[in-house]
Amino acid sequence: MTRVKICGLQEVEHVTALDGADAAGFVFAPSRRRISIEKAARLAAELPEGIEKIGVFVNSGLEEILEAVEKVPLTMVQLHGDESDELIRGIPVKTIQAFSIRKLEDVEKLNRSIADFVLVDAPGTRFRGGSGKTFDWSLLAEAAVDPGRLIVAGGLDAGNVRSAIDALGPYMVDVSSGVETDGKKDSHKIQEFISLVKDDSMQNMKETKVEAGFFGRFGGQFVPETLMKAVKELEAAYAEAKEDPEFQKTYHDYLKEYVGREQPLTFAARLTEAWGGPKVYLKREDLNHTGAHKINNAIGQALLAIRMGKRKIVAETGAGQHGVATATICALLDLDCVIFMGEEDIRRQQLNVFRMKLLGAKVESVTKGSATLKDAVNEALRYWVANVEDTHYLIGSALGPHPFPTMVRDFQSVIGKETRTQILEKEGRLPDVILACVGGGSNAIGMFHPFITDESVRLIGVEAAGEGVDTDRHAATLTKGSEGVLHGSYMKLLQDENGQVQEAHSISAGLDYPGVGPEHVHLEDIGRIEYKAVTDEEALASVIGMSRLEGIIPALESAHAIAEAEKTAAGMGRDEILVICVSGRGDKDMAIYADRLEGLA
Amino acid sequence: MKRLAAMKDKGSKAFVAYIMAGDGGLDKLRSQVETLQRSGVTAIEIGIPFSDPVADGPVIEEAGNRALKNGVTLDKVLLEMKSWDFEVKIPLVIMTYLNPVICYGAERFAESCKEAGVSAVIIPDLPFEHQRLVSPYLKAAGIMLIQLVTLTTTENRLRDILQEAEGFVYAVTVTGITGVRDEFTEEVKAFMKTVRAKSPVPVYAGFGISKLEHVDLLRDDVDGLIVGSAIVKAFHEGEFSGIQPLIHAVTQTYPV
Ligand SMILES: Cc1ncc(COP(=O)(O)O)c(C=O)c1O
Repeated sequence: MTRVKICGLQEVEHVTALDGADAAGFVFAPSRRRISIEKAARLAAELPEGIEKIGVFVNSGLEEILEAVEKVPLTMVQLHGDESDELIRGIPVKTIQAFSIRKLEDVEKLNRSIADFVLVDAPGTRFRGGSGKTFDWSLLAEAAVDPGRLIVAGGLDAGNVRSAIDALGPYMVDVSSGVETDGKKDSHKIQEFISLVKDDSMQNMKETKVEAGFFGRFGGQFVPETLMKAVKELEAAYAEAKEDPEFQKTYHDYLKEYVGREQPLTFAARLTEAWGGPKVYLKREDLNHTGAHKINNAIGQALLAIRMGKRKIVAETGAGQHGVATATICALLDLDCVIFMGEEDIRRQQLNVFRMKLLGAKVESVTKGSATLKDAVNEALRYWVANVEDTHYLIGSALGPHPFPTMVRDFQSVIGKETRTQILEKEGRLPDVILACVGGGSNAIGMFHPFITDESVRLIGVEAAGEGVDTDRHAATLTKGSEGVLHGSYMKLLQDENGQVQEAHSISAGLDYPGVGPEHVHLEDIGRIEYKAVTDEEALASVIGMSRLEGIIPALESAHAIAEAEKTAAGMGRDEILVICVSGRGDKDMAIYADRLEGLA
Repeated sequence: MKRLAAMKDKGSKAFVAYIMAGDGGLDKLRSQVETLQRSGVTAIEIGIPFSDPVADGPVIEEAGNRALKNGVTLDKVLLEMKSWDFEVKIPLVIMTYLNPVICYGAERFAESCKEAGVSAVIIPDLPFEHQRLVSPYLKAAGIMLIQLVTLTTTENRLRDILQEAEGFVYAVTVTGITGVRDEFTEEVKAFMKTVRAKSPVPVYAGFGISKLEHVDLLRDDVDGLIVGSAIVKAFHEGEFSGIQPLIHAVTQTYPV
């Protein structure tokens, strides 16, 4: 895999962003980014272990170089001047010699270098994939430079680094100004750059990646050709609706007048006291009409379907909350509604099945596979393939082919936006930790998205560990899964070594899915969100705690976030703030509670 | 695969048979291929079972589930094919969903296909846009990637897709999944004519073709027909002889 060097480090705060990089460069030559040997030593001490520390010099004497090698200490030396071979031989660590390439003779010079590595620099030039005006990268190919000792620098950034790698296959890429904003290193850009370079498993995705619909390397539109037209139409229609104030107004009117938003951010005084740590706040999605966050998305998509001239809706449902939300909105807006639901889930969520039927929806039982959410999605997709011209697939989580993950996130972001305003009003500052449960990931991404760029806010997604992540009965996709394609998206899956998708298990029907939305996988990949897993038993215990301390009976799904919150709170101080997304209420789970909590003290 | 173009030039029609690898046990695969070859089919599509076959109807899905229960995997199918010592005279095409390929590794997949004597690959959930994920490796191994077009493929897309077409084009006859169907609309005939007029390679129609009437209706407007569920069903029920008339109806040349 191609290595990454981030050059011109000056601040400690950027050192942590180097996670995943292979080398850090300190500039000792006259430059805007020049630092002293002492400063470099301090930065070097903070760097993750195993990362190369490279000093950059221009025509310095051997003595100065040796001093830096010893004091920082440096593991490599990079030379940009007219250093003699003799000087290079005197350097006790590995060396890199830099060359500016303009014509074929320059390349020949480079091939004669005695340094361990050669770096090609194109000052003031952007990489142009072989057709550059002042710098022709094809010269390198012509002159047969050994890619195993080649380092490429000069004008690289997130937009062109993949084409540089694909064209030259270098040992390392070197970036400096490409990861800066206004002349200063930018942690976000550094991370983006690293993740792009480390993206070898999907090397050939470079063309699609720059298109919309990918989060890092995850996402895409992996659907049969029959659906491509519909998916593209949806993409265009949503892009338009998103920018249309009229559409946004209608959507928000429904949220206010029909769903009952905005929902409170309730201070949980007794939970706070019982846990003895941070101030605990609850985002009350349980108070939505139909009992969960799912309706935020169902309304948005139903309005979009109407805008596209489609009056038939197909949807899948796991716990039945999304099915109920969809059936509700279809009743309200007079749309035809077919809901696919696994036989096993129908058994677990009887009450919701009856609600959907009462609302006029057709509920189709799915008996295939594990007869849960995954199989319901399969059937809904097949139904959509066969009825695509007049039917909209109203997917219930941040899953599926683009634009679904983005669209569902946007419709659910109302959760995080409200929370942000509310906490600033109540506390005058952002929370320290936010937790949400993760099935496909819609309530979590809706809650987290407005906080993604607030680095001080720790975001924790909570998956279902079922009977334990070390058994084969769990739904902890981010904790235990591996990369693959299911239901139109490149994401993480529970699968066997042959790529067969496995059954997920959770007491909670809404978390019982062997995949997770592509944006979550990306945010885990770049280290922005942490994901934890909570067992059936732990979730059930939290149901009791929350019910008795706060008088709020949570949905089984939400109870997973509460259970993890208790563990997180144990390590936090009293002046800190923790927010839990209570994604839904427990009415639908009452039969399970009655069964499992029977005789509780 | 060169023969397919020659057949088109001569005006004779191709019959492509689909089977599910390992339905009834992986040891059946060899004899099924031999039977089909003897029966005069033009090419054989060998399906790899997958846990979530969203493009397939119940007949193929159930066959896939039986194969999965028998422990059949992409790896085992390719190894089995590699071991064959009888003469394979017709192109063998692997039909698989994308995830098993990603899991196996696209490059390794292409190489193993080559070793197994595979001529082409069909991946129904890998749309044109994302084909770079596997196509460079297939190309390097000299294996064709078959393009699919459907009734919902827009004009511009059709042009782009046909530009990349190699071997043959798989023209999907229905807006739906694989399976046995009763009828085809005029729209389908018109669609086949359009694709055929624009395609640089032979155009084969597939999905839902199971009866002589379907053959009569579509035969003139395509270069060949692909039959899946009917054959899978016949092998499963041990009634292969029922398929023979269908093969004949497609491949026989009528005296002018
Ligand atoms: C109350 C509740 N919370 C959470 C979920 C999980 O879905 P997601 O991860 O998309 O928020 C569900 C799904 O049915 C649910 O009903």
